[in-house]
Amino acid sequence: MRTTFDACLLPPSSIESPTAESALAWETVDLSESLAVRYPVWSGDAAERLLKALREEGTRLADVPVRDVVAGVGRVADRFLDSSDPIRSRAIDLLVPTAGISKEMASEVLTGMARDWTAERLDELLQRELPDPGVLDGFSQLDEGRRVRASGPPLTFHVGAGTVPGVSVTSMVRALLVKSAVLFKPGLGDVVLPVLFAETLAEEAPELADAMAVTYWPGGSSPLEDLALERAGAVVAYGGDEAIRSLRARTPVTARFIAYHHRLSVGLVGRGALTAARASGVARMAARAVSMFDQRGCVSPHAIYVEEGGAVGPGEWAALLASAMADLEAELPGGYVTASEASAVHQARGSAELREAAGSGVRVFRGEESFWTVILEDQLGFTPSPLNRVVSVFPAPDLCDVVGSLRGVGRYLQTVVVEGTEDRLPQLAEALRRAGATRITSFEKAPWPPPWWRHDGASVFAGLIRWIDLEEIDP
Amino acid sequence: MSDTFASLARALGTAFYESSGEPWPDDVFEGWAQRVFAYQFETNPVYAAYVGKRGVTPSQLAHWSEIPWVPASAFKAVPLVSGDSSRVQRVFRTSGTTGAGRRGEHHVLDLNLYKHSLVPNMRRHLYSGWPGGPDGEGPILPILALAPAPAQAPKSSLSFMLGVALEVLSGGEGGFFVTRDGVIDSVGLTAALVGATALGTPILLAGTAFAFVHWIEWLKEQSGGFNLPPGSLIMETGGFKGRSRVLKRPAFYSALSEAHSVPFEAIVNEYGMTELLSQFYDGPVAATSGMALEARRHVPPPWVRTRVLDPNTLSALPMGEPGLLCHYDLANAGSVMAVLTEDMGVAVDDGFRVLGRVQGAETRGCSLAMDDLLSGVPS
Repeated sequence: MRTTFDACLLPPSSIESPTAESALAWETVDLSESLAVRYPVWSGDAAERLLKALREEGTRLADVPVRDVVAGVGRVADRFLDSSDPIRSRAIDLLVPTAGISKEMASEVLTGMARDWTAERLDELLQRELPDPGVLDGFSQLDEGRRVRASGPPLTFHVGAGTVPGVSVTSMVRALLVKSAVLFKPGLGDVVLPVLFAETLAEEAPELADAMAVTYWPGGSSPLEDLALERAGAVVAYGGDEAIRSLRARTPVTARFIAYHHRLSVGLVGRGALTAARASGVARMAARAVSMFDQRGCVSPHAIYVEEGGAVGPGEWAALLASAMADLEAELPGGYVTASEASAVHQARGSAELREAAGSGVRVFRGEESFWTVILEDQLGFTPSPLNRVVSVFPAPDLCDVVGSLRGVGRYLQTVVVEGTEDRLPQLAEALRRAGATRITSFEKAPWPPPWWRHDGASVFAGLIRWIDLEEIDP
Repeated sequence: MSDTFASLARALGTAFYESSGEPWPDDVFEGWAQRVFAYQFETNPVYAAYVGKRGVTPSQLAHWSEIPWVPASAFKAVPLVSGDSSRVQRVFRTSGTTGAGRRGEHHVLDLNLYKHSLVPNMRRHLYSGWPGGPDGEGPILPILALAPAPAQAPKSSLSFMLGVALEVLSGGEGGFFVTRDGVIDSVGLTAALVGATALGTPILLAGTAFAFVHWIEWLKEQSGGFNLPPGSLIMETGGFKGRSRVLKRPAFYSALSEAHSVPFEAIVNEYGMTELLSQFYDGPVAATSGMALEARRHVPPPWVRTRVLDPNTLSALPMGEPGLLCHYDLANAGSVMAVLTEDMGVAVDDGFRVLGRVQGAETRGCSLAMDDLLSGVPS
């Protein structure tokens, strides 16, 4: 039997609850054998009313102290992290069919994501990003000649990609921190967490939940989308180039537009990490970084460059990585793979296996029943992965040569993992900066950026807040 | 060693030419498939190593469906030649959409075998007359091609095919109306169509779907159109993969039909790819249940068998269930006969229905097309 999940949660103050007189019509889309997703169809009038209500809530939210926002969101995070709380098991059960990930992965992802919504992490974020978080509540004298205040727009409109579940919630939380009301349109693969988050927030901090609406519609198809683009003070968009282009074109010049287009990540393993003592540990962390989110994250490595001349050579390290990928498949099984994704993996594997058969140095390690694949390449280059745990390993005479291979990727490059480079790190970091990287880290940290992560190189609140300078005025 | 390429190609060519077009009995196809596979295993060390890794040998092969396929993209990765690669007569290249990604290459040892595959198949599907056409043996249709001439595009397998058709099936009548740079000679094509209409000679207008879209647009701007003589056919091929302008098939066929005053039934899709030296048509000959678009199916020539595979497990699917099309084409004797495509389709009684390139409903993941990424990258 198929259960239905309502990909919509509207603030209780809004009249558009599904049971209201003016109830909206609903449409259903089947996501799997076991789950259908239902979403309302917005009329122009209903959309107008919702946005008006949200803007009013946003104005009211400005008076809620930021510490209350942190505390309220933190209580929700604690519940998602509490394995005895039914909301956590409900979230995991629903993530499996909606995000197409295994139950084990769903649990891992939920923990990793919800950690970033805890009061402790949010405080850390605010402390890092703002000289004094109090500027979100009132004017504050931080330096000579002025008092300053930071203010978010009354309403932000967020469009999620549906790529990695939970990213959307982090985006909404950041808007709440700057006291913005939020309209969130999730991607189909990420409808669960924002709805359950809003639902739990209504229990834990109703004054915040009143300023939050989550509702799915197929991108580009709703009058709510056009109106929201017109009315929001800031638009935060995640997605592919096409989706971003379309949203950007329809956002008024007076609104801020914050875009996160698709990105990819790579890894660099230097001789220092290729000792008998370290190589297999690094391979295990690399396998985890590649496999997390079934490689759908922008933080997921597509290619790993392994330096030659270490105690463990690139070929041997690729075998270690393969064995770690196989182990991880048991611990965190891969999820649902669509026909097109599966086809892309078959094509990539088969081609690599023919190059292997041609007697070059290419080697292919692969799961039989599962999609994980390690392709050891024979010369320096770059190949984007078809995803679902397919990673290329390129031998590199010297890690400093790798940067040249990444030149064409620069526009899309995000995280670069660097292991075992020792005293060459400063020099390498400079080269990676030139190549376009915005984050340099370890395999262990790669899937889980810190709360103060400057996603794609922009300060967390830069696009969301407006600074107001109150200069000293002679009496 | 059982076969040399020359003897095998000669035997295959003869079998293709002598076939009626009706499917061969299973044991006949089986015999040929085993023979071609044994030949490829012996003469193509790369493929043999690939096959070996799968634990398959010709002597143990119980059924042609066990012959290991190569993915279509393998034609981009390594030269797949079964035989003496110094004797390759022509290298056909797949069409790139941006020109940035690496293109596939089909190294063809014997253009004559390609001709022996394409001519009888085209004759059967496009030159044997159709219900609205002249009676008898079928007309000698002049071919007007919306594609570059073979001399202009020596690496295009489509241009080669249409060149052979012009020579062998159209009695040398017709011409090519696209330059090597892809520009349509609209004036020339107009003159040719006006000429054919004046003479009342039915013609075969053949080309890529993409070129046809531009041609129709040009005609619209000119408020032009043609009243092609009854018996005329349109053959379109290639789809719109990766192109910015995409038309749904019914709209596309309506536009073609209106612009040339030919019925829907006279518009035939050719499904083919550079990686295969045989093609598939969905025209009147293949129609067992009318020519409505949704009822159409592509029918392989007797020397090709097609399986539909589960995209996840790659096991064969029963009729009617959509999966990846995998073709076993004996005309590919000089390269690799079994090719797994990226096209989705369903098996039907006597062929298959193409559902199009595999694609997800909504993108999951930061996946980037190779072409997006590599544009502007020095390779």
